[in-house]
Amino acid sequence: MMRRAKKPPTPRKDPPVPEALFQISEPGETREKAPCPPGMTRAIGIDLGTTNSLVASVKDGKPVALLDDEGEAIVPSVVHYAADGSTIVGKAARDQLAPRFPKDTIASAKRFVGRGPSDAEAQRKLTPYQFAPAAAGDPVVRFQVAGGRAVTPVEVSAEILRALRERAEAQLGEPLFGAVITVPAYFDDGQRQATRDAGRIAGLEVLRLLNEPTAAALAYGLDKAAQGTFAVFDLGGGTFDISILALENGVFEVKATGGDSALGGDDFDRAIAGHFLKELALPEDAGGDPALARRVLDAARAAKEALTENAVTSITLAPGNGKETTVSLSRTAMEALVRPVLARCTGPVRRALRDAELTAAQLDGVILVGGATRMPLVRQFVHEQFGREPLSDIDPDQVVALGAAVQADLLTGGTGHGDVVLLDVVPLSLGLEMMGGVVERLIHRNSTIPCGAKQTFTTYADNQTGFDLHVVQGERELVDDCRSLARFKLAGVPPMPAGMARLEVTFLVDADGILRVSAREETTGIESSVSVKPTYGLTDEEVERMLLDSFAHAEDDVQTRQLAEQRVEADRILQAAMAAMAACPELLTDDDRRRIDAATRALEAAKAGTDHGAIRRAVEGLDAASKDFAARRMNRALEQGLRGRTVGAVEAEVEKSEAAGDLASRLERAGHAGHSHR
Amino acid sequence: MICWSCEQEAGAAEKCAACGALQPPDLAADHFTVLGLPRRFDVDAKAAEARFRALSREIHPDRFATADPRARKFSMQRTVQLNEAWKALKDSIRRAEYLLSLDGWEVGAESGASRPGQGGARERLPVPPALLGEVLELREELADARAEGDDARVQKLARDVRQRADEAMANVASGFAAAEAATDRARALEPVAHELIGIRYWRRFLDEVAVHDEAREEAADTPKGSARA
Repeated sequence: MMRRAKKPPTPRKDPPVPEALFQISEPGETREKAPCPPGMTRAIGIDLGTTNSLVASVKDGKPVALLDDEGEAIVPSVVHYAADGSTIVGKAARDQLAPRFPKDTIASAKRFVGRGPSDAEAQRKLTPYQFAPAAAGDPVVRFQVAGGRAVTPVEVSAEILRALRERAEAQLGEPLFGAVITVPAYFDDGQRQATRDAGRIAGLEVLRLLNEPTAAALAYGLDKAAQGTFAVFDLGGGTFDISILALENGVFEVKATGGDSALGGDDFDRAIAGHFLKELALPEDAGGDPALARRVLDAARAAKEALTENAVTSITLAPGNGKETTVSLSRTAMEALVRPVLARCTGPVRRALRDAELTAAQLDGVILVGGATRMPLVRQFVHEQFGREPLSDIDPDQVVALGAAVQADLLTGGTGHGDVVLLDVVPLSLGLEMMGGVVERLIHRNSTIPCGAKQTFTTYADNQTGFDLHVVQGERELVDDCRSLARFKLAGVPPMPAGMARLEVTFLVDADGILRVSAREETTGIESSVSVKPTYGLTDEEVERMLLDSFAHAEDDVQTRQLAEQRVEADRILQAAMAAMAACPELLTDDDRRRIDAATRALEAAKAGTDHGAIRRAVEGLDAASKDFAARRMNRALEQGLRGRTVGAVEAEVEKSEAAGDLASRLERAGHAGHSHR
Repeated sequence: MICWSCEQEAGAAEKCAACGALQPPDLAADHFTVLGLPRRFDVDAKAAEARFRALSREIHPDRFATADPRARKFSMQRTVQLNEAWKALKDSIRRAEYLLSLDGWEVGAESGASRPGQGGARERLPVPPALLGEVLELREELADARAEGDDARVQKLARDVRQRADEAMANVASGFAAAEAATDRARALEPVAHELIGIRYWRRFLDEVAVHDEAREEAADTPKGSARA
């Protein structure tokens, strides 16, 4: 299949293969490896979930989940830390140890990955964990566990990955080539990096991090050779993701993504647990008793699962006062508790469809992912939302791991699924701060990566010798409401009148989602650039909140933006008037001066207020007051034989006061809201 | 072109005819050239999309993850260029504006349109005052209807404006077709520019309706009464 290239080097035509694999498949290599069972590859796919994790591998061209001795595919994402320093992962940790040692048994660690101690997740009331006191400047959450240890979420994840690796090695032969690990589409750069680190700590070669919905589509797409447009509805333990993907001729294109990173089966459990606590007349934080919190949450989960099959279930709880209490719950009552939580999926679904410019009816199918989609209520909800029966022929708990195994197989040039490429998108818009604190977006949310954008800016004030570039991320109109990514300066621009310099700014987002910004002043050739990771340290809560805020505040934003813009315009025109009066005092009659002074005062007064309309009228007033003066200046400029831009500039100023131009600009701004957030 | 990798004649395709190495992109190529489409408004959307996908599959950085750094760079540059071209051409309004820009026109925001005139100056095509008056009136009606919560009237206004936008778009298409055959291309494109100015305003209007619709949908989603109560 592969030849060692002679000089000149010949690129391989096969799918990309890691160098390590390339070498060990060379004939004559001495590094003999344990053989695989026939038909198996040694690249694995791992679904590292909030509640459960799985490992899968491709066998005879088909992905299969790797099972434990008892025939179980699922490994609960629960790690117990014993006082002697040993760890226990999975079912035993969840079922036996978590109830007895709630503080030392970490579940849902994924919710804390890449988070700081002050994040909402670490501040939740109903939690069985004890967090280690945060050292000053420590950006990472730590769980205080038995044996005096404080472990990070990355370490907890690594324990789970290690358990999965051992299972895979036992079945496939030592060692593995590498693994593809899935992450939620919404995971930011910091969280992805943390997941990668966990893989490394677990002794895995992480070939690629793959978005969970894409993995699900990969599992369906390649097994069934599907073509068309699909929605992936992924309701897991801790996160909800909705993605719209187009599958065609070996290209998986992510059309849009959305979701709610704080919504999942755990939230259903929490809603049900809240109900139980109320029934038991206990406070909603379980009186700060971690063991009780754990028991109530487990009881809630057990009740929820039982009610998938049965109409009524009863749960026995020991609130801690020695007495046991039995509470019964019907499916109807449980669904009433869960429904308000589930309703939060509606907005993200609609926005994702809108971003993809599709209606539910135009989809070819809806893929269900995540254990929570087993609930009859959730299936019914999906049916209502999309007007069709969702696809669920692949086990929703396994589908992500199976897709990851397919991708691992592809990357290691396995059994040959053909040429497949995944086209991913930017999750949040990227832009620059403009005068007045408004955002100019250069790259819009859901643009296919890698992508670039170029825009030319100019100076605001006369003799401005530098530019401060402030790169921001988010969907809101004002810089203060967006996330700041980077600041840099372009200095050394020679003094020029305002509007003469030409600053060309280029944004480039590569296939890994990393942004590079460069700026170049064209008249001088001065350049500067900076590399930023667009989502570094940004939690997915923040991503979600920023997205939601942009919709909630679309109206306010327009008002604020108009005010900010009018104030900038006012400053510009005040400066221009002052500069012109200083430059050509001999062209100024007493009458001019009196009128311009009055109009200037009126504009300054309007600028101090918050009525953008008043500012605009005052700007017009100053324009009108200085019109004769401007005309004389233009005449003189023409007489002096100045041509080109100078005439154009004066002309433009005169033109500004023309009714049509002004009306056009008003309409332009009035229409900004709808346009900008779409 | 001589291939950077094997130093033989590479040919005109993305990859070297001799060794298959990915060749550097022509960064000056226009969007139509990048996608291998004829430079005209009338585009076979299905064929264009298929072309975009096929090219993506060929040149995407994922395909060059383990390749020579130069091939990786060219893959990145080509893919950025391809994504940009596809974004500009897949939407008919952007495509129309882009086509005009290739002829030196600018269909701008506030001041209508302009094209290169005699001696380097720009010739302006102002926004027709009649259009502005009409837009202003429709906007006021929309604001009134929204203030009164009269959704039926909002939807009727939206239908009217959508129809205007559709008609304008049909005129853009026929205008470009006429310009293909015209002797004075600059003059023939004038009506197209006018229609595009109108479309911008209709688009904005419809965006505002979309904000309204979204707010209504959002309100409808809010669960009525908590189940816990």
